[in-house]
Amino acid sequence: MGRLSTKIVGIITAILIFISLYLVFGYARIEGTMLEVQKIFYYHVSAALTVFVAFGVNCVFSIKYLIQRKSTDDLLAVAAAELGIVFCTIALLSGPIWARYAWNTWWNWEARLTSTLVLWLMYVGYFILRSALEGDKRRLYSAVLGIIAYLDVPIVYYAVDIWHGGLHPDRGTKWNLEATMRQTWMVALLAFTMLFVLLLIVRYRMKKAEARYEIVRQKYLGEASQ
Amino acid sequence: MKIAVLVSFLVVLGVFIFATQVPVTLTADEVAKAIEEASSESEGPVDEDILAQAMQLSVVKLEKAQSTRLKYLAAAYLVIWLVFVLYILNLDRKQQELDKRLAQLEHDSDEDLPF
Repeated sequence: MGRLSTKIVGIITAILIFISLYLVFGYARIEGTMLEVQKIFYYHVSAALTVFVAFGVNCVFSIKYLIQRKSTDDLLAVAAAELGIVFCTIALLSGPIWARYAWNTWWNWEARLTSTLVLWLMYVGYFILRSALEGDKRRLYSAVLGIIAYLDVPIVYYAVDIWHGGLHPDRGTKWNLEATMRQTWMVALLAFTMLFVLLLIVRYRMKKAEARYEIVRQKYLGEASQ
Repeated sequence: MKIAVLVSFLVVLGVFIFATQVPVTLTADEVAKAIEEASSESEGPVDEDILAQAMQLSVVKLEKAQSTRLKYLAAAYLVIWLVFVLYILNLDRKQQELDKRLAQLEHDSDEDLPF
């Protein structure tokens, strides 16, 4: 993807974020029970769903790496995992603020919260593993861990169905919103997805540049020592 | 990279612009509940003065409740966008470091050239 395309993606993302902010505060109806606090929903849930996309990209490119052994696939997988952690951090930090008001507690060890925290910890472990290894071993082991860690995503998604009695509402609740709320959430979700795409392009390019730099440097050092 | 920093800046700016436009809302249930609470807290039989006092008290209570809700909302939005801004600033720092290393490598390789 060229520089111009990235700029276009950036501009579209900025416009979408602006529109979503306008919709959240100026268009969506105020929910009857939680009133203004419910507006946390639009970005909290969007961030949580973007996490699934990000770790999904990581899983797909990890599998692709294991099949084709192309280092660019590894770089894309790492960039996606990093962004997954960023979006997961947002979901994990904004959730307790909402929970404090809605459920009168910052944290509860219910299934969805716990499995999300486990997901976050597994991908933190992914980066710890990467920092401990080098070369092909690093790429290979982290690809395997990326695939294994992704198995937690369906557990997070279906946690409210598997373990009843948690604090989170049913999965279907977010789809049965009042029209203005649903439309606003759709735009917020699209804005976050575009933001993920933009940051993924930027991060992948940086990773690629870093890798190229290392190759050139090693080559230069090799030539200099001869 | 600059476009990403610009996006993050615009987002923060947007939050500040739109967050100030949250309409003040008081539902009928909230008003009734607040009057009930205020009436129960007022002493003696309820006459006009006491009712007025109860109304004033209820408005204060409602404003306080809304202020609390807006604090939660502002805190959550601050956290959400702060994470993005910090991440993007970190990316920018990494990019600058890489640029420096590239410039250094270019400089070193130039020094080795015979002409």
